[in-house]
Amino acid sequence: MKTHLKIGIGKLELKNPLMTASGTSGYGDELGNYFDVAALGAVVSKSLTLKPKIGNEPPRVTEVACGMLNSIGLANIGVERFISEKLPKLRKSGATIIANIAAKRAEDYLSLAEMLSDEEDVQGLEINLSCPNVKEGGIEFGSDPKMLGTITRLVRNVFPKTLLVKLTPNVTRISELARAAEGEGADAVTVANTYVGMAIDIYKRAPKIHTVTGGLSGPAIKPLTMAKVYEVTKSVDIPIVASGGIFTWQDVIEYLIAGASAVELGTVLFAKPNVPEELLSGIESYVSSSKLEHISDLIGSLNTGVEKVSAH
Amino acid sequence: MPTNQFLEYASVIKTLEVAPHTFLTEFSSPKISAAVKPGQFVMLSFPGSLDPLLPRAFSVCEVKGDGVVLFYVAVGKGTRLLSKLRNGEEVILNGPLGRGFPELARGEKVWLAVGGSGAAVLPIVITSAIDSGAFPEAFYGARTMKQLMHFDNIQIEFATDDGSAGFHGTVVELLKLKMKKDRPDKIFACGPSPMLASVQREFGEKVRTYISVETPMACGMGLCQGCPVRKKDGTGYYLACKDGPVFDTNEIEVATGAI
Ligand SMILES: Cc1cc2nc3c(=O)[nH]c(=O)nc-3n(C[C@H](O)[C@H](O)[C@H](O)COP(=O)(O)OP(=O)(O)OC[C@H]3O[C@@H](n4cnc5c(N)ncnc54)[C@H](O)[C@@H]3O)c2cc1C
Ligand SMILES: Cc1cc2nc3c(=O)[nH]c(=O)nc-3n(C[C@H](O)[C@H](O)[C@H](O)COP(=O)(O)O)c2cc1C
Ligand code: FES
Repeated sequence: MKTHLKIGIGKLELKNPLMTASGTSGYGDELGNYFDVAALGAVVSKSLTLKPKIGNEPPRVTEVACGMLNSIGLANIGVERFISEKLPKLRKSGATIIANIAAKRAEDYLSLAEMLSDEEDVQGLEINLSCPNVKEGGIEFGSDPKMLGTITRLVRNVFPKTLLVKLTPNVTRISELARAAEGEGADAVTVANTYVGMAIDIYKRAPKIHTVTGGLSGPAIKPLTMAKVYEVTKSVDIPIVASGGIFTWQDVIEYLIAGASAVELGTVLFAKPNVPEELLSGIESYVSSSKLEHISDLIGSLNTGVEKVSAH
Repeated sequence: MPTNQFLEYASVIKTLEVAPHTFLTEFSSPKISAAVKPGQFVMLSFPGSLDPLLPRAFSVCEVKGDGVVLFYVAVGKGTRLLSKLRNGEEVILNGPLGRGFPELARGEKVWLAVGGSGAAVLPIVITSAIDSGAFPEAFYGARTMKQLMHFDNIQIEFATDDGSAGFHGTVVELLKLKMKKDRPDKIFACGPSPMLASVQREFGEKVRTYISVETPMACGMGLCQGCPVRKKDGTGYYLACKDGPVFDTNEIEVATGAI
């Protein structure tokens, strides 16, 4: 194994900084048709809820320039079937497994964390806070630092393994959310989920996805999320996992320089499910040709020193 | 690694415009061509392209030696780009994907009804039905003669809305007429949603009927949950890409709010 690509996130040591993003890699089993998922730093599951969810009405996805909108509605098989059907398969594949959880009530986050904490194969949890909180008038859990802090604390108390909190970018100051997560004991923050977006069919004068608005992902959001990662590096000390528009190995390096310790691959998997192999070899050549001892030397190595600009 | 799904860089062998905005493109694709079954599809993407970004779904139309042929209508960015590729240029093909039409037994009588880009499945379904000793008949409907095309060595009964070729009326009306005198063991259909809905309504209760549905798809392989098809029993959704695209009409509710 290449030791110079290893990255520590909380108690986890990842083989390399490449993870899959929740909701874009199923439960990890389909990807195994295309490459060895054990070669990834980690596989992150689809968001799991306490009960199975059938998800939103179609259409759920549409393409926009250099990106896509989705409104899946967290369709998933539920935590129990994940544990009984999917975990054994994932274990066999040798993957490092992070379970992503979502809920509409604080106590459900707690139950989910308790159930998954008992599972030896689950090495980490990522909390998705994009659901509306039914008790607080439907405000997204993740958009309020207080609610985010409460959930993080509840989960932290029962889940001793590596804990990531996934932040929403749809706020004015994402660093406040990151600070709240760090303050309640999160091991890392994932920056970030999708951006609220919208597209209209002008002939039908109808929204292109059923829920009218949806989450924007893909290369279109990379510069936006890059700025969020950079903002968060300045306010917390815990590692940052970047998620947003990564399509090439250069994108991965860019996020590391901005301050991320690892990255998640999302939309890119749809066209090229084996892309992690290609990215890994690109990253390796970059690291060796840049004469770096370890990939972590890149993290936060951004040089912002303003160069002298000659006056024209 | 378990695998009969492949990701192949496939180069264009040739493209023909066979009707207005309608094309046949043959790709060299040794692995997919060897594995594909009638009704299965591929996801096609353009290497390095960020716009179009996502792969596009196409039913495999025909297998030719080491190659697969796709039949498509240029309706948007991706299909227009595809039709303009030069011979030798490469795309990425992911497949074969999904559940195709059921295998046919020797002597079984099957009627295949197609319309629009659904005609893509005509050659592969008919050829493989003949190979397995079944008795297939093909029916192909369009608005007018200009939109229809012939496939080499395949006998087809045509139907046009304006009567310019074959039966004057829809392909479903044509089948209804035939049903007065004859009855197949199975009906297969592929075409626009309104046509599929009417196939389901007219024949679903009388004959084992299978339809191939089209929904928007982002991945085609079960990663994204983007392609739901409503279950008939109201308990939720199937995924068009993994559970389908071919369904028994008793399994699903066909969305008629067509795209
Ligand atoms: C399983 C499956 C098999 C298919 N097989 C064929 C085939 O053999 N031949 C063929 O010509 N087409 C086929 N299609 C439809 C084909 O995938 C779309 O026409 C294609 O994605 C359009 O891409 P575009 O970039 O040209 O159009 P876009 O610019 O993306 O869209 C143009 C128009 O097509 C509509 N559209 C987009 N995606 C789909 C879709 N997946 N299904 C229906 N309408 C869509 C859009 O709403 C829009 O109105 C199939 C679709 C599926 C799901
Ligand atoms: C189809 C789709 C489904 C998603 N589902 C989830 C989900 O269930 N839970 C979650 O935390 N994020 C989900 N996301 C967000 C992704 O994990 C990722 O953070 C986001 O897409 C940005 O990365 P990308 O641009 O590389 O795709 C989903 C994204 C897409 C495109
Ligand atoms: S298209 Fe992604 S799950 Fe079907």
